[in-house]
Amino acid sequence: MKPYLTYLSKRLLQFAVVVFVGINIAYVVTHSTPINPVEQTISAATAYGSTSPEAIEMMRRSLSELYGLEGSPWQQYLSFWQRVLVGDFGPSLSAFPTPVSELILRALPWTVGLLLVSTLLTWFLGNLLGGLAGYYRENRVLRAFGVVTAGLHPVPYYVVAFVMLLAFGYLWPILPISGGASMAADRTDVVGFALDVVIHSILPVLSLMAAGIGGWFMGMRSLVSNIVTEDYVTYAELAGVRRGKILRHYVMRNAIGPQVTGLALQLGAIFNGAIITEQVFGYPGIGSLLISAVHAGDYSLVLGITTISILGVSTMVLLIDLLYPLIDPRVEAA
Amino acid sequence: MNTLKVLRDLFYYNKEFATGLLLVLIVVAVAASSFFSPYPPLDVYVVPPDLPPSWQHPFGTTSRGQDVFWQLTFAIRNTLLFGIVVAVISRVISLCVGLVSGYRGGWVDRVLMSLNDTFVVIPLFPILVLFYFIMRDQMTWGLLALIVALLGWAYDARLIRSIAMSLRTREFTRQAVFSGMGTGRIVWQEHLPFVLPIVFSTTLNNINWSIGIEVTLSVLGFTDINTPTIGGMIYWANQHTALVSGIWWWVAFPIALVVLLFIGLFLLAISMNEYIDPRSRLSRLGGQA
Amino acid sequence: MHMLRMLSLASGLLLGASGLTLQAETAFAQVTVPGVPRSQTIILENPEGTIKNPGWFNIWTLNAGGQFTGLHQLALDTLWYIDPERGLDGPWENSLASEKPIYNSDFTEMTVKLKSDIYWSDGVAFTADDVVYTVESQIKNPGMRWSALLSLNVERVSAPDAHTVHFKLKKPNSRFHALFTVRFNAIWIMPKHVFEKAGDPLKFDFNPPVSLGAYKLHSFDPNGKWYIWQKRDDWQRTTLGRYGEPGPTYAAYVDPGPPDKRVIAQLNHNLDVVHDIAPEGMFTLTKQSDSLKTWFKNFPFAHPDPTLPSVIFNMQNPAFQNRDVRWALAMLIDIKAVSMAAYRGAATLSPIAIPPTGTHPEDYHVPLRDWLASFELDTGKRKIRPYDPTIGAQIADMLRPSMGDQIPTDPAEIDRAFGYGWWKADPQAAAELLQKAGFTKRGNSWYMPDGKPFSVKVMVEGETRPILTRAGTMIVQQWRQFGIDAKTEVAQGTMLDRRNTGDFEILISWSVETYGGHPDLSFFLDSWHSQFVAPAGKTQSPRNWQRWASPELDRIIEAVRRIDFDDPRTVELGREYVKLMVREMPIIPLMAYNVFTAMDETYWTGYPTAEDPYANPVPNWGNSRAMMVRLKPTGK
Repeated sequence: MKPYLTYLSKRLLQFAVVVFVGINIAYVVTHSTPINPVEQTISAATAYGSTSPEAIEMMRRSLSELYGLEGSPWQQYLSFWQRVLVGDFGPSLSAFPTPVSELILRALPWTVGLLLVSTLLTWFLGNLLGGLAGYYRENRVLRAFGVVTAGLHPVPYYVVAFVMLLAFGYLWPILPISGGASMAADRTDVVGFALDVVIHSILPVLSLMAAGIGGWFMGMRSLVSNIVTEDYVTYAELAGVRRGKILRHYVMRNAIGPQVTGLALQLGAIFNGAIITEQVFGYPGIGSLLISAVHAGDYSLVLGITTISILGVSTMVLLIDLLYPLIDPRVEAA
Repeated sequence: MNTLKVLRDLFYYNKEFATGLLLVLIVVAVAASSFFSPYPPLDVYVVPPDLPPSWQHPFGTTSRGQDVFWQLTFAIRNTLLFGIVVAVISRVISLCVGLVSGYRGGWVDRVLMSLNDTFVVIPLFPILVLFYFIMRDQMTWGLLALIVALLGWAYDARLIRSIAMSLRTREFTRQAVFSGMGTGRIVWQEHLPFVLPIVFSTTLNNINWSIGIEVTLSVLGFTDINTPTIGGMIYWANQHTALVSGIWWWVAFPIALVVLLFIGLFLLAISMNEYIDPRSRLSRLGGQA
Repeated sequence: MHMLRMLSLASGLLLGASGLTLQAETAFAQVTVPGVPRSQTIILENPEGTIKNPGWFNIWTLNAGGQFTGLHQLALDTLWYIDPERGLDGPWENSLASEKPIYNSDFTEMTVKLKSDIYWSDGVAFTADDVVYTVESQIKNPGMRWSALLSLNVERVSAPDAHTVHFKLKKPNSRFHALFTVRFNAIWIMPKHVFEKAGDPLKFDFNPPVSLGAYKLHSFDPNGKWYIWQKRDDWQRTTLGRYGEPGPTYAAYVDPGPPDKRVIAQLNHNLDVVHDIAPEGMFTLTKQSDSLKTWFKNFPFAHPDPTLPSVIFNMQNPAFQNRDVRWALAMLIDIKAVSMAAYRGAATLSPIAIPPTGTHPEDYHVPLRDWLASFELDTGKRKIRPYDPTIGAQIADMLRPSMGDQIPTDPAEIDRAFGYGWWKADPQAAAELLQKAGFTKRGNSWYMPDGKPFSVKVMVEGETRPILTRAGTMIVQQWRQFGIDAKTEVAQGTMLDRRNTGDFEILISWSVETYGGHPDLSFFLDSWHSQFVAPAGKTQSPRNWQRWASPELDRIIEAVRRIDFDDPRTVELGREYVKLMVREMPIIPLMAYNVFTAMDETYWTGYPTAEDPYANPVPNWGNSRAMMVRLKPTGK
């Protein structure tokens, strides 16, 4: 176990370095945005209304002070790290003085819920069907499914989502097309509200599945169809082991490794949010929050979301790396 | 190896290859015909707007008074070039990083993988959008391609590294080391052939992925609208609410053509994979071809 | 590890599905709202979209929460309103004030008489103390929204009695009342009894809001997608009460998503008022909805807002400092093509720098026609008369074959819908003007006097302003075809920063915004005084984005400052401004900002229209509250 512990500590150090570098890159990029949050705020507040140039000058000064944009870049950078280490991203500049963490926490459950469910479902179904299709290559239903998913796969996600919106929201209007829950839904009625949320998530989940399932399906199918030609599978078949058992114990188990890696990375990427899904289906979440933050020049918020996302993905990468030597003995703990 | 002869053999004896080649040639022909377009690509209201497909305008006309077919020739040309440029640049990076890192291990691996993982964990989309804001009108599609390529190699480098790591523990690598071959030669001569098939398939992934990025950015309006692309056409169609207005040909033909392109590239890739290695050994080693 | 992105077979499915034309037959089972029956609810679009910080109702802080969520339309109130159209009882409305502002002779004091018997929704009476508190607390807290405006103007505010407020101003200001007069919004009055107990007013969320308007908050989405307001039982005790009982018991302001979704939602009768969509979306609605109501019954359907999209030159850029160059660029614009490209012909054009909406045509466009017709432009070779009064009629003729009966035939109606003529495109005159300015043409390209190619970059906003982006694209094309190296730049989110810092050559946007229902132009014009023009590279404050400094204009502005708001001389001075703008062309006026507000009559009737212009239907305007008292349920 000692080499593994050495590996673990090295890997943890690397994790820390990656997160540090990643957040720094995000810091630099977000802070070089040419959008000035003060100008955005002033323009939004004074568009249409009566104002005077002198008043705007005054507003500029007091806002810069309020937003803490004064002080040297170095001081701002240091205070950023001081705050981040205790999980505080400071106040959002486009919803001042609400803390960034509050905005993210409000949006996160929706995004995580939607993407967790759809990612797991897509992964499970895609691999199951892909594995079956690779093993029972003559099955017509599975072949037809392969053709459909492969055809759907490259269609830009936006179009898949929009066509589903038209189909089920309009031509055959059986599903809600907007929002995460009904207007004025009674949130104290837990069962009713949960059902309402599930119904609202059907179209977004379906669209994500339709766009994502082909990758898993085809990946698993080709992995399985290659393993099937391996000697040990042939021997098992010659030895009269039942096909279902061969598939479960000899084939799937050996093929699932890379698919698990892929899943872990996708789960990490959940924190990026599903920007287009959220835009098309008006679903509340991190993606829409991010876009509106970018437009408003709210770099506190962009940086907050980016940091969460960097942590999410790199944690997942770390977990894979830590588990991989345990799963696959061929890989040495380097 | 006589490449021409191989291609000819493939064409005659492999149906997938022939079909794939045909489809890619069709798309390339469409792209090439942009040079004969009677209309400058940026001009609007050169034909009557909103006409459905007809003999005169085989793919119809847009609400901006552009001929969908001729507009499409420019769009597919730029989009295709975009995908290829991104794929080539990012393949080169991921091959170098993946092979060297996987073979050398140790501190080289740790440094390269730290770099690699940093690129994996940086959320792509916010970075691209911010780059767009910073670069503004200097953000041509060429520059966008470069940035996407620089952000798009890390996943595949990791994949290639994992194969290279497995290869390292194999008998033939040990033999090569004992026979005194250096890193460069081992990686180049012994390992590269094993990862080439996966490079082919990741090239496809990458072209698809980069075009997906282009479409996504365009749909959200974060691209240079002065360069016609497939994503740009969808952007303008959305601007004119084309789908609910019934101008379906404005969206359908660009998408159909992209789909054709992907089918063609996919068929080409699987048939070439089969030719290079009938047993697709890469899959056994942890890839997903 | 993004998964394999391969595919094999064509997706005919997609082509089939997207080609289907919409048919408005079935509607998705109605939004079920417990206790909020659809038949008593009007659903309106809030163009702010999803509110990031939904539980924040303190509108007196800067942008902390939503504003057009119904909050400023239905829950807040202030002293006066000016309707951009004709109003319920004339464009001018005394709201919390019982009469017009009373100034002293040198405009250093303003007295306001307030209505009595107006109550906050928690039963507390509204008094002069609330107004005084609003002014004083904002002056005290520089981070508050109207703090700067008030502290620059107000020396002292006092309440001699419960229904009188007296302002002592720091310097003469004949338009001080405009700060408390709603055009789109104004300084809203704060509830003293709530805020004085709340501690730091910058950190107070004002949730739930105590309202002064006829509606109070019913509920809102914790994710910021919708707000529902409920009619107050004591609606008579609000300023809207004197017009009768508001129709809708509930008003929901929602984020309906992108334009396609808005069209679908309205065809499904889930969205009564669409704030704005692309013209094509509106045409789809006119074809497929049988319950649609629009501002103009016929083409162009849209409501012209008192805002004037224009080609704005950066006057600090040496290339545009010669009037002949600006006029040459104007003469190259074929406005018919621009109108087609931007609005599919549904534009209300204006040759002069005043939006052709509300009461402005009677004050400016019609009386100035003769002057425009006789206006002469010296091209250096000859004199031309560039004004073409028939452009509107030409566009109507152009559209009639495809739109048929939807195009008006009556000349007065055509004027109202398509505007009051424009400048005739004249490339010959443009060439002469450029030559006069020392430009030369070599081959197909124009060169500036210093020998460099004449290249211009036109900044457009992009997706967020599709109409202006289209107009800009068309204008650039026309200039390019003439031999000018013209390009568009899509600024997107950087638009405001670049506009404010003057980081553009030419901009498609607006720097002219007016009351619509009142001829006074000080709303935008005062800020055009040269005293406010920022040096190149420094930030310009609204609204003189062209950074134009003109002694002649300064004289007009100073004259306006010296006379009363309702003085008939405001119109004369306004006309002088128009003539100066025509001669100088610091901006090329294009058209009104036409807003495609689509109203659905399935559940409600009585929307404002051009025939009954009692309010601006665009639902994010503060004065759209007038709609509530005219809306009648259909009983469905």
